[in-house]
Amino acid sequence: MEDLVNKAVLFDYFSGRVSPLQKKSVESWLSEGSNRELYYQWLHEWEMNRLQTNTNWQLVYEKTAQRINNTFPAVEEQEPPPKTWTISRWGGWISRSGLLAASVALLLMAIGWLFRDALLYKTVRTGFGETRSLTLPDGSAVTMNANSSLRYSRWFGTSIGVGNRTLIADSAHENPRMVELTGEADFSIRHLPNNRRFVVMTPGGLKVTVLGTQFTVFSRERATRVALRSGRVQLTTGQKTTPPLIMQPGDLVTLNRQGKLDLTRTAHPESMAAWKDHRFNFDQTSLREIADILHENYGLVVTIGTSQLAGRTISGSFTAQNANELLKLIAQLLQVNYIRENDRVSFTD
Amino acid sequence: MTGSEGNLIPAQDQHLRRMLPNPERVTSVVDNEHIIRSAFASSPEKGFETLFRLYFRPLCSHAVRFVYTREVAEDIVGEVFYQLWKSGSYATVQHSYRTYLYAAVRHRAFNYLRDELTGNRTATSLDDLGDTGQDETPQTLIEYDETFQRVEKVIQELPPQCQRIFLMSRFENRKNQEIADELGLALKTVEAHMARALQQLRRVFLPMGLLFFQFLH
Repeated sequence: MEDLVNKAVLFDYFSGRVSPLQKKSVESWLSEGSNRELYYQWLHEWEMNRLQTNTNWQLVYEKTAQRINNTFPAVEEQEPPPKTWTISRWGGWISRSGLLAASVALLLMAIGWLFRDALLYKTVRTGFGETRSLTLPDGSAVTMNANSSLRYSRWFGTSIGVGNRTLIADSAHENPRMVELTGEADFSIRHLPNNRRFVVMTPGGLKVTVLGTQFTVFSRERATRVALRSGRVQLTTGQKTTPPLIMQPGDLVTLNRQGKLDLTRTAHPESMAAWKDHRFNFDQTSLREIADILHENYGLVVTIGTSQLAGRTISGSFTAQNANELLKLIAQLLQVNYIRENDRVSFTD
Repeated sequence: MTGSEGNLIPAQDQHLRRMLPNPERVTSVVDNEHIIRSAFASSPEKGFETLFRLYFRPLCSHAVRFVYTREVAEDIVGEVFYQLWKSGSYATVQHSYRTYLYAAVRHRAFNYLRDELTGNRTATSLDDLGDTGQDETPQTLIEYDETFQRVEKVIQELPPQCQRIFLMSRFENRKNQEIADELGLALKTVEAHMARALQQLRRVFLPMGLLFFQFLH
């Protein structure tokens, strides 16, 4: 085989100008491990004679060098800062400007009060078309779908200080891990040794109480839904008359307009979180409902030509990275036209 | 390349001049490696500078054959250099630096393209590729080569206007609106051309994309 493959053949091969037989001999030539070096040597030569772009390596070199310098020496700089605040200086400083210190403290407290929400809570938001995965301080994993927000305490998951012994003793019930969700998110909750509960609150008044499990919460204007993949969760609503509902894996619960819980079974609870993979699962889903999805996920305002068109349905599982891909896909499947102008989309027959 | 040789390397650097590839003269690979290794011996910074000088341009040019966007190609190559430094593996590169760099860049570029066209692109796809593609089989090598050849073919076969718009968008980093203004076209026309180009690319990769899709399920 060796004599069939030489530099000229390999150059032709790189340029896509060899016969299938020659390609076969290149393949067997490559299976000789020692030829790999030569292959790359010739590839490099071939490339050098056919450069396609003019790049400035110095610029990128400097950028990379900077990136390396920013990452590495930074570790050395993290040593404790020199202690210039010595005790003797403290005494003098306070006596000289005690009044100043007091007023600064007062001012800080006032600012703290004004921004207490920002200080006490952390809010994570996703924009239109954006999904995001995050790990909460307790180790639980959350993946948020587009146009959603999650708010939780900055002290989330940490134990309460020494002064609150009673709270620690009964922390499983008294001090649950609370998050507030608007939008859609998929949760994978870490079970903590002290059995502390994890609670998801939604604006619709639905409370999902958890003990280590995987589930998806959908909480938007259109509906509030919870799908459970594994473990156990308890649902409570704002209405005192509705008893709490314990969900089993595979349950799909919808909060209806009257504030009551409707329970149905789903064979694929995970499909409620298909958006994690940028997937859209449609099952006899009408264009009208898809318009809602486009609005919720990408902020698009959708108009549909006729109500007959709005009633046409799509079934199947599709991936789309962004609004345009999804729009194109829908138009192709339904064999219809659409026009997009910024945030406005209209479908026509 | 031959014409601009003098601009690249100062005349006094005769030893480097010899390294430059030239159709008439075989690139002396062993010497390239020798230069790099002796530069690394004096200091890692010098070593990296030499690597950049010798390989950055051809690597970008090669990556562009896959991803067809200049910025992405530069990011991919930059990331490979960065990882080479960060992992400290520059001190223990087996074979040659050239083999290491080309293999890593091709591996990344191929994965980027596959993810882009099969719709599995995630924010971390570029950064989190720990695998440097150093354990490739002859089949992988050929798959990579066929991939960039197919991309080239698709783009070559695009209708002239579509091709022109695609290249302006991807290589000159121009906004659709700018392209529309310059060519005197409606924005929608430009968008349609871009969509068509991407769709053509996807169509060529469809059999492969489907395979990957099935593998996921």
